[in-house]
Amino acid sequence: MAELDLDSADGRREALRRMVTIRAFDQEAGNRFADGEIPGFVHLYIGEEAVGVGTCASLESDDYIASTHRGHGHCIAKGLDPKYMMAELYGKAEGYCNGKGGSMHIADVDAGMLGANGIVGAGPPLATGAALSIDYQDRDQVAVGFLGDGAVAQGQVHEAINLASTWDLPAIFVVENNHYGEGTPVEKQHNLDNLSDTAQAYDIPGVTVDGMDITAVAEAVAEARERARAGDGPTMVEAQTYRYRGHYEGDEEPYRDDEEVERWRDQDPIESFKDRLIERGELTQEEFDDLRAEIEASIDDAVEYAQETDAPEPSAAYEDMFVEQPPELERFANVARTDGGANGGDHR
Amino acid sequence: MTAQAELEQETETMTVREAIRQGLREELERDEDVYLIGEDVGVFGGVLEVTGGLYEEFGEERVRDTPISEAGFMGAATGAAATGTRPVVELMFSDFMGVSMEQIMNQMAKMHYMFGGKAELPVTVRTTEGGGMGAASQHSGTVHTWIAHFPGLKAVAPGTAASAKGLTKAAIRSNDPVFVFENKMIYEQSGEVPTDEDYTVPIGEAAVEREGEDVTVVATQRLVGESLGVADSLEGDVSVEVIDPRSLYPLDTDTIVESVEKTGRLVVADESPLSYGTHAEIATRVQEEAFFSLDAPIQRVGTPDTHMPFSPPLEQEVLPGDDDVRAAIERIA
Amino acid sequence: MATIGLIVNPAAGRDIRRLTGGASVVDNYAKRRVAECVCDGLTITGEPLDVLVMPDRTGIADHAVAEAPAEIDATTLELPIEESPADTRRAAARFREEADAAVVLGGDGTTRDAALELGDVPLVAVSTGTNNVVPSAVDGTVAGAAAGLIATGMVSVEAVTTRHGMVDARAETPVGERRLTGLAAAEVSSQSFIGTRALLDPSDLRGGVVSQAHPGNIGLPAVAGSLEPLSPTEPGGVAVRLTDPEDAPRCVRAIVAPGVTATIGVTACERLEPNESVAFDVPDGVVGADGERELELTDATVELMPVPEGPRLVDIDATLEAGSRAGGFEIDAVDERQME
Repeated sequence: MAELDLDSADGRREALRRMVTIRAFDQEAGNRFADGEIPGFVHLYIGEEAVGVGTCASLESDDYIASTHRGHGHCIAKGLDPKYMMAELYGKAEGYCNGKGGSMHIADVDAGMLGANGIVGAGPPLATGAALSIDYQDRDQVAVGFLGDGAVAQGQVHEAINLASTWDLPAIFVVENNHYGEGTPVEKQHNLDNLSDTAQAYDIPGVTVDGMDITAVAEAVAEARERARAGDGPTMVEAQTYRYRGHYEGDEEPYRDDEEVERWRDQDPIESFKDRLIERGELTQEEFDDLRAEIEASIDDAVEYAQETDAPEPSAAYEDMFVEQPPELERFANVARTDGGANGGDHR
Repeated sequence: MTAQAELEQETETMTVREAIRQGLREELERDEDVYLIGEDVGVFGGVLEVTGGLYEEFGEERVRDTPISEAGFMGAATGAAATGTRPVVELMFSDFMGVSMEQIMNQMAKMHYMFGGKAELPVTVRTTEGGGMGAASQHSGTVHTWIAHFPGLKAVAPGTAASAKGLTKAAIRSNDPVFVFENKMIYEQSGEVPTDEDYTVPIGEAAVEREGEDVTVVATQRLVGESLGVADSLEGDVSVEVIDPRSLYPLDTDTIVESVEKTGRLVVADESPLSYGTHAEIATRVQEEAFFSLDAPIQRVGTPDTHMPFSPPLEQEVLPGDDDVRAAIERIA
Repeated sequence: MATIGLIVNPAAGRDIRRLTGGASVVDNYAKRRVAECVCDGLTITGEPLDVLVMPDRTGIADHAVAEAPAEIDATTLELPIEESPADTRRAAARFREEADAAVVLGGDGTTRDAALELGDVPLVAVSTGTNNVVPSAVDGTVAGAAAGLIATGMVSVEAVTTRHGMVDARAETPVGERRLTGLAAAEVSSQSFIGTRALLDPSDLRGGVVSQAHPGNIGLPAVAGSLEPLSPTEPGGVAVRLTDPEDAPRCVRAIVAPGVTATIGVTACERLEPNESVAFDVPDGVVGADGERELELTDATVELMPVPEGPRLVDIDATLEAGSRAGGFEIDAVDERQME
């Protein structure tokens, strides 16, 4: 069984819930970043919810995903808990990475989430590697590598897809074409209209679907998963989508106009799916409003938790460099944490 | 541990190449999750013949040829290690590391830390280093300092057949990313190697290869054997202690410092370029810990900040060797 | 000077049947080459021609214009680009006013979108799509030559064109009426959502109405054609109702998608007169047109009806043959030398 069954009303409701959760989470993350509560920078997934949720809906819960710098949506789609995600954004000890990763590196390997990633195009090689483990141990799983339109120009993406297709690995490459690589439109980055055309070079299927329609993404990924599990190798699914916010929060967006953003908002993945569920008679606007209110309250709780939970002890900075910690870390930690640097004497 | 103590076990004589191969074979036999990947490691047996015969023995799933795609397979190995298998990568020449550096420095080295310790990366990368065969600048570099320097990675560099096997096995058994830097000029060098299938060289333990009283030479890779030769030739004039750190990161500071406290003099011999390097790290740790034991300035033997030139007279000019070690000892002893 | 309209749909030929079936990919480079071939083919008559090209964002139109041979005065239409079927319809509407013939590169869907607006302008339909019943898989140069012969009047339009039918779908739903038109077929599927649009699984197909039926077609027209063939020139249509083969009174083998043959259970298959409708109850399903899911419906009744007012399709072989009989390819040998 897929993680979410979009052929059932319950599955559709849960898919809607996850999309709304992503939006509420990222809206709040944007607000809290603007308030200066969240350090670093954040890349929001608002507008692209159908891609992450549609993809993960068609995966099994133990399948792997390797994400991008715009990874909050993938985390929630994969079932991670917004509470510990928010704690991670706040740099808190109880965050998914104990505060060492932050927005760009949220990971939960046990849940199959191999990490958001600060390097454009770095996820697909990791997904190929996860698919290699699956293939090597003959496990009934697949690995998804998310990448943006910008990453399609990266050499390591080519290498990852070539390796996966040459070895017939159970991998799926989901290209989230949100039409901008940072501030540069897709047509200034590629001499191609449909990025899925690149799949031909690897002799694997490449399809382009409406990334604003969760049913389209889920269907394509379900087919890709079936193909991967049948031993037929990887598939590329390009989802045409759009991010409503800037590349990062604070981006002044000189590269596009409001009209374009509005045009995409007219196809909003949450509104359109919600409207279809209402038309089907399995949801009312009131129920949806209640659902959204409930989710927003839960995100408020997550923020409150993140605000109040403890920051890591400074000494934790020296932990988790390795499984087997070398003596150097303790040695230099002592030097760093005392005045013993210059003539520190014997730290042996 | 002294090299002597390790060799009190049952041993057989073999080359460094055979020792590494035996280490790989034993680990492939011991653990089904272990497999080799790299360019021409399979049918070809490795461009420097280290993996010869393993393909026939273990099959193509476990001794897997890759396309010429260092970034791709380094990344795949990282992803595979994070998801339950134990890849052993051969990077044909360490000079090719630049091609795969993104996956090494931003993924392999950082995942365990960035994820708060929740991902383990049991990946081994074997690669060859060193000049001396006229392979010119892009196939002769000694770059282990990069990896030893970069947080999150462990680096080992055997100088003897025994440590070549023991470090290879320890690297594969480690749950951290470990790079094994093999000097290509010593593949044919023979030595006594313990036959025990559980023989490993713990990462972070140096070996005192020869005991002495007057000068400590900390030598790596090819320069271990050459320093031992120099020490033998100086017998009677200067008593030289030779230490092979074996592990560059972590570095066994204690063994080196204890030796310098005894001898008061230190030569660091490593083929990497001299500036900002492995020599500097060893020298610094010694002055931090044994400053008042030093009787003479610490001497460095290494490549004088050039690339490896092609023409043999040029290559011999810059390649550090036994003459340089001897001169360094004589400067301070 | 005669005018040709050219539409190249950049989105055709890349749907999910590349993944689920055996459909081949027609990438934009290939489409660009076909478009250039069409322009080359137009020169067969030796007469100068105006070519109006539908604009797009992929460079296909720009390349066709830039690479057009000297005898062709090619320009891109000044039209907004939405990257949706509306682009094709808008361009076709312009051709209805300004063109003597139109060449459309795409699948049944693109051809239908063009047909809805083309009126009486003769249509040369070239297949670059997936599920193609109507457009011909023909070299672009040959298609261009046929269009040139017609537009310049060397071949009589009446002699080489036929009027293809279409299928209207009208759905009564709790929220009002919704309409759809198919060129070769309108289908009813039990799938709930549009999803990736293509009608993928034959077991979801509940039936529909086709405007032509032949076992050599693909999709519902093939299913209908296996029992009740209907040539494109015959009026009316064929209605089929399908069910699980295990419960069906009759079963047929049919090509349901490129690379996919299936056993289909048929409960009814009947000829329809023009404008004679059949109804399907759709408690939860979609209505498709020409192999693509279009309308999601719940608690709806759908009426499907063959209608005669389809595109005026050019028979490419017949056109070239007529051109030959009219001596349209023969020119004065002396003139040819002078031309060089």
